[in-house]
Amino acid sequence: MTESRKRHPHASRRTLRVELIAGGLVILGLWCWGQGNNQPAASAAPPKNLPQVARSVAQQPPIGDPADTHLDTTPPRLTHGLDLVKSGWSYDCMECHRLFPARWHYGGDHRPLNEHRDIILDHGNNRFCLNCHHPTNRNAFVDYDGAEIAQADVVELCAKCHGTIYRDWQAGAHGRHNGFWKADLGDRTKLRCIQCHDPHSPKFKAMKPLPPLRYPPRAAHPPETAAHP
Amino acid sequence: MTHDPQNEVSPQTIEQVYRPVTRRTFLKGAAASMIGVAGLMAALKPLLELESGSITLEELLQKRYRELKPEELKRIMESLAAKAEQEYGVRPNLRDLKPLDGVEFGYALNLTRCIGCRKCAHACLQENNQSRDDDDDLEMSYIRVLELEKGAINLETSNMYFDPPTVPQPDKYYMPVQCQQCRHSPCTQVCPVRATWPEKDGVIVVDYNWCIGCRYCMAACPYDARRFNYKKPTLKPAQINPNQNYLSNRIRRQGVVEKCTFCLQRTRAGKYPACLEVCPTGARVFGNLLDPNSEINYILNHKRVYVLKEEVGTAPRFYYFFDK
Ligand code: HEC
Ligand code: HEC
Ligand code: HEC
Ligand code: HEC
Repeated sequence: MTESRKRHPHASRRTLRVELIAGGLVILGLWCWGQGNNQPAASAAPPKNLPQVARSVAQQPPIGDPADTHLDTTPPRLTHGLDLVKSGWSYDCMECHRLFPARWHYGGDHRPLNEHRDIILDHGNNRFCLNCHHPTNRNAFVDYDGAEIAQADVVELCAKCHGTIYRDWQAGAHGRHNGFWKADLGDRTKLRCIQCHDPHSPKFKAMKPLPPLRYPPRAAHPPETAAHP
Repeated sequence: MTHDPQNEVSPQTIEQVYRPVTRRTFLKGAAASMIGVAGLMAALKPLLELESGSITLEELLQKRYRELKPEELKRIMESLAAKAEQEYGVRPNLRDLKPLDGVEFGYALNLTRCIGCRKCAHACLQENNQSRDDDDDLEMSYIRVLELEKGAINLETSNMYFDPPTVPQPDKYYMPVQCQQCRHSPCTQVCPVRATWPEKDGVIVVDYNWCIGCRYCMAACPYDARRFNYKKPTLKPAQINPNQNYLSNRIRRQGVVEKCTFCLQRTRAGKYPACLEVCPTGARVFGNLLDPNSEINYILNHKRVYVLKEEVGTAPRFYYFFDK
């Protein structure tokens, strides 16, 4: 799995891995990790000196026309992917999961007990991990007939339960298109479901609005302008 | 030279456009006649400007856009580009994109989805080279995002200056309003010099070199969609979008009216408008009304859409709908 984590929220940890391998400076590395954890999450721009790794197009596809640099087309959510890097180590799902069988049910709150503690399902009645993750190949998702859905086709996963929304999405009425509306003049890109919805907690998240515009000028002057007549 | 029947009718007064005269339209008419005095002053302004050197004789004597021969237009565009470079430090790629054949633009906005984040309004400033450098710049985005109480559509009590820590707020919904590109556009009918007109693809444009700044069109617009340049726009070189078009986002002069053109510098080149490109919720849908397979026609065929202020009979090309 060779994918750059340019936009990855855990990106700083990757720097750490390089340090570990290069110098074996374990202590320094742990220190850096701690620093990395203090950084603001996903939205912070990754440091420039990250190693560049080739990335499959399906994972973080470009959005819209590259010429539109003046427009902020960043999607609301940065996807994680399944082949993660955690604490500087490859977190390939199957490295652990080939060792033990799938568990369908957990007691109480239906959550794994010792690993993946950060994942808390809040997806309506969809309460089981293996409704989505493939039981024997954790690097893929599962279709209703038990077939694998590749990571890049994650939209198919959502489609199996959200058919009408998927149909709207295909038609361009749900989600967002970028680039060219006229197909013979250029390419069009489509945001995938998980670029807007967190699969584990899919409700669309509230965000901070951009500041109000000064037009039209407010009728009643705000206090600071009222001070000098 | 193509002859556009719209061009032949003599300019109408606001009262003629809004018939029968109701109290509201009467008041509007009265307001417009007051602006009329200012309009006369504005009409004289070019002469003063010529004197002060802020416009050239060539600009003053220039014909209206629709009468220009291609080579005349080309020459004018070159001189405009040179002037912009000298004033703003960036040479624009100034073009004159014509309406595409078999295309009529339509826009739809999903009010259930919109969360009022204002990304569209700010992208509009950037795309359309709106003045935004000084602190006293008005930031005249073509889009106003209104915050409304849930349960009723009452534009009168809407708030444009909302600024909560996060949006959406649970008891509110949000409604961005921009030019509705009306099929019966009152603004174009009241223009005394016919400096604004609907194009073949439905976009209503302004010839900034012909507009006299009388603002009749602003009084006639039921959607408050037009903006007036009270001052010369101020922009840093880095703030300038060089992809410019004669009838849309080239940097305007002082004293002319401007408006949303569905970003025709983008949409006539086949691209989506800027406000759609940045919408984080995907509330905006844009496309060709004449193409039965377009996204906009999917909305018109599958969702219940409505138009804003239907009672004034403007027949907008901009639709609103509620849908998950
Ligand atoms: C709605 C389907 C769905 C359910 C249910 C679901 N997941 Fe996921 N999960 C996904 C998708 C899609 C991704 C990929 C996310 C991305 O690329 O951003 C993912 C990613 C992950 C990841 C790796 C990325 C990360 O965010 O750490 C782990 C680990 C994971 N899921 C574990 C679980 C566990 C444990 C459960 C049950 C408690 C669960 N998932 C339930 C769809 C689901
Ligand atoms: C470090 C080892 C490790 C890695 C790497 C790992 N898992 Fe797990 N995973 C576990 C353990 C251990 C459990 C069982 C937890 C329990 O029983 O409390 C588990 C449980 C799960 C479950 C709940 C269903 C089940 O079979 O128990 C899902 C879903 C899951 N993991 C998905 C993923 C995905 C997706 C990835 C790759 C992003 C991944 N895991 C990577 C250790 C790992
Ligand atoms: C196994 C079926 C299943 C799959 C697969 C699935 N969902 Fe869901 N989803 C549900 C159910 C059930 C609900 C709850 C519906 C309700 O409460 O009315 C739901 C609700 C939602 C909601 C509404 C949440 C809210 O609180 O408003 C969103 C958004 C959503 N899903 C997105 C997704 C996305 C994105 C994917 C793909 C990663 C996905 N779903 C995959 C079953 C599924
Ligand atoms: C551009 C961002 C975006 C994309 C891409 C996107 N959605 Fe949504 N989705 C939203 C927003 C915004 C809402 C409205 C949230 C609300 O009403 O609270 C929503 C609502 C939903 C709902 C809840 C509908 C309901 O009835 O409450 C579901 C389910 C859903 N989306 C599934 C999907 C699926 C499946 C995909 C991919 C095929 C997808 N979304 C793609 C932004 C997006």
